[in-house]
Amino acid sequence: MTRFALTVLFVSACASAQVSFEDISKGPSEDWLTYAGSYPGWRYSPLRQITPSNAKLMSAKWVYRVPDARGLRMSPLVYKGVMYATNTNAVYAIDARSGRLVWQYRDVRAKGGGVNRGAAILGDRVYFTSSDNYLTALDRRSGALIFSRQFADVEKGTTSTSAPLIVKDKVIVGSAGGDSGMRGFIAALSAANGDEIWRTWTVPAKGEPGSETWSGFAEWGGGATWLSGTFDRETNTLYWTTGNPWPDFAGAPRLGDNLYTCSLLALDLDTGKWKWHFQFTPHDTHDWDAQSWPILLDMEFRGRMRKVVLHANRNGFFYVLDRITGEFLRGTQLIDKVTWASGIDDKGRPVLIPGKDPTPEGNWVCPSVKGATNWMGQSYNPMTGLLYVLTLEQCGMYNSSSQEPVPMKNFAGGGATEEGGQVLLRAIDPKTAKRAWEYPMTGAGRMWTGTVSTAGGVVFTGDDDGQMLALDAKTGKLLWHFNMSETLTASPITYAVDGKQYVAIASATAIFSFGLFEPAEPLTPPKVTLGK
Amino acid sequence: MRFGAFFLIALPIAAQHGRYVSESQHPAIGDPKAIAAGAKLYALSCPGCHGPDGSGGRGPNLVKRSLWHPLRDEAIFSAIRNGVPGTDMPPTKLPEDQTWNLVAFLHALIGPASENNVPGDAASGEQVFWGNKAGCSNCHSIRGKGGRMGPDLTNIGGSSPLAVIKESVLEPSKDLMFLGNEGATVTLKSGKIVKGVARNRDNYSLQMIDEGGELHLLSMADVNELKILDHSLMPGDYRQRLSQDELRDLLAYLSRQVARPKGTIRKANNS
Ligand code: HEC
Ligand code: HEC
Repeated sequence: MTRFALTVLFVSACASAQVSFEDISKGPSEDWLTYAGSYPGWRYSPLRQITPSNAKLMSAKWVYRVPDARGLRMSPLVYKGVMYATNTNAVYAIDARSGRLVWQYRDVRAKGGGVNRGAAILGDRVYFTSSDNYLTALDRRSGALIFSRQFADVEKGTTSTSAPLIVKDKVIVGSAGGDSGMRGFIAALSAANGDEIWRTWTVPAKGEPGSETWSGFAEWGGGATWLSGTFDRETNTLYWTTGNPWPDFAGAPRLGDNLYTCSLLALDLDTGKWKWHFQFTPHDTHDWDAQSWPILLDMEFRGRMRKVVLHANRNGFFYVLDRITGEFLRGTQLIDKVTWASGIDDKGRPVLIPGKDPTPEGNWVCPSVKGATNWMGQSYNPMTGLLYVLTLEQCGMYNSSSQEPVPMKNFAGGGATEEGGQVLLRAIDPKTAKRAWEYPMTGAGRMWTGTVSTAGGVVFTGDDDGQMLALDAKTGKLLWHFNMSETLTASPITYAVDGKQYVAIASATAIFSFGLFEPAEPLTPPKVTLGK
Repeated sequence: MRFGAFFLIALPIAAQHGRYVSESQHPAIGDPKAIAAGAKLYALSCPGCHGPDGSGGRGPNLVKRSLWHPLRDEAIFSAIRNGVPGTDMPPTKLPEDQTWNLVAFLHALIGPASENNVPGDAASGEQVFWGNKAGCSNCHSIRGKGGRMGPDLTNIGGSSPLAVIKESVLEPSKDLMFLGNEGATVTLKSGKIVKGVARNRDNYSLQMIDEGGELHLLSMADVNELKILDHSLMPGDYRQRLSQDELRDLLAYLSRQVARPKGTIRKANNS
């Protein structure tokens, strides 16, 4: 009898809700199903309960202390009232209303540390990658292990930090480790069993087109792909950014443009085949990875509707490209102080100011090694037509070294330090590249927080002093702040359970969830009988 | 003891019990020949007090230790060689190499079952696991198949010693730390009844996984009554329900369940 009942329940359970490609395509709702919220990478939610007029009533709903966490960089997912958060080699399923743990999966056998940026979800499975390059699929309800398959070799300098991007039946994963020599790739793995479907290298092998742009070191040339990308459903195209060439600060051993580092790649989802590429920083010597979100947008540009991709780059410039052809449309200054290039020419190449490479005694260049912006999530809000980007006005010292570069010895060909500076959240009109407003912050220029913005007209972000902020999306006016008292290095999301909107963000060591203040209801504890 | 194992499914046994430390570099450790020789010595003179699988009797359980001091390979060596003065543990006075063989055997016994050649027919055990007579897969999953109310067993051989797995199967309610594993029946104010395992709970909320493997995230404000059972929801009658052979084969099957079997590490073609 019991077994019969179990079987029936099991069958009905299988028929219950599952995350589909369609669900992810729709973008955020009550749920938040992919790292950047939606395939175009907008980090925009249609939720409108929290508005500029009531955001002052926000309060903390719960805090979940993530075991062993030090500098969380993760952006969580939410599905059906459960939040899926990651730390290095670990996933936590948390009751998104109460912050209580439902299950956790910790892979203590995984070698290596490093950060983890988040999970992905499809069907009834939660996916994440370990620092030693295993793609692991877990049951979303129980945390049970479904498969764990390795897709790259740690011995070749590759680790994994990015949240996988799931599109249709594929889990797209990237590669990290570009500061100590490795060869970057993007790979599509089967969501069913982790089988490799395709792999596209970001640095050409000897003899391949582009290999002539390396005088040496191409086999360890970097071009890591440590941030997820975005996806255009209409053209079945993935947009993925690549990191710095290696050795980071030593340009002499690798003369040439060093394709396809510091670039944006457009790849066919089914085959991984190249559609086009655009290199923002040819022959980079300042560790300016192109890792920042390629945001997909249809907008009017010079009197004509264009399908564009926006890219606020670490090198200090803000780019607009045609996302179908890769044609360069516009490159303007993202921050005020850029000293290495006087501008971007009409082909999209930086117009270099001579003498800005790292030197043995140190060369002072703007932006700093942290970049004008970085991987923190930007958001585009269709209600205001504005792009919200965390920017850093900071310069730094770049040193070169005459030591012989040795791959995987973490030798980056020199070093860089930065000093002072200021973080500002900037609202940019992508049509004109003009700033609609900016919100300057105090602090040491250490934060890496992103943004999320809503149909309610609010931008949520963190500041450089560890405060969570709500700003008016139209005007940039401060609506509310909350001191989390830790350096913030993660991007917020928003979700809803039982008709209540929440905004969640990870601090260095914990996840905080906020919502509108509600007076506590008196709770008479129910009758609890303990058999033991 | 099983509290940790439930959540931290990938934790190795050393961390689970927290009290077995091995930094030993002795060549006997992990050497199949030494382990086999040690097994013979063990069978000869130790099961009378420590049980054939180390699960204890007159002497303590060597696998799930209740003693607080950490057990190192050197400490095992010394206990075997010199005995534990003032207790029933006799000195063996075995030569050094034979003593190390015993240490190697105990080391393996305390380690994950997958690292020992657990006897039995794993293929028959697989049928027992997935069959109706035992019904294990109504509640447990392996690699994504099966039920979800009980702990995932995908890595049970890779994480637990044989003696621990055996005890979990034969005496599920013994020595059970309930947190995260509590069998629970909830009656909601709406009249709805949910039966299953309370994965987590406090005075304000309750996170349950029901017999069908569905999650219920409940507010205690909606709960009328919560009954926590005094026993595991896992049936306690497998000693009767399964034959000796079925049990042996089932344990052989479970012992071989490892999340990341050795030799599956990919050598990427990173030219
Ligand atoms: C007559 C019963 C008896 C026999 C036979 C016996 N032991 Fe023991 N053993 C004990 C007792 C009792 C203790 C617990 C001593 C104490 O209280 O610390 C013990 C302790 C140990 C310990 C230390 C356990 C710990 O957790 O610190 C080891 C290791 C051990 N025995 C191994 C063996 C081995 C190997 C053999 C066979 C060569 C063996 N014993 C034979 C009774 C016995
Ligand atoms: C009605 C549900 C149910 C059935 C049937 C069942 N179990 Fe369990 N099992 C549980 C639950 C619940 C737990 C966790 C509580 C506990 O440890 O007893 C558990 C625990 C276990 C554990 C310990 C897991 C760990 O991580 O420490 C093992 C091993 C195990 N079961 C094996 C089996 C095997 C083998 C069978 C079939 C012979 C079986 N179970 C049948 C519900 C079940």
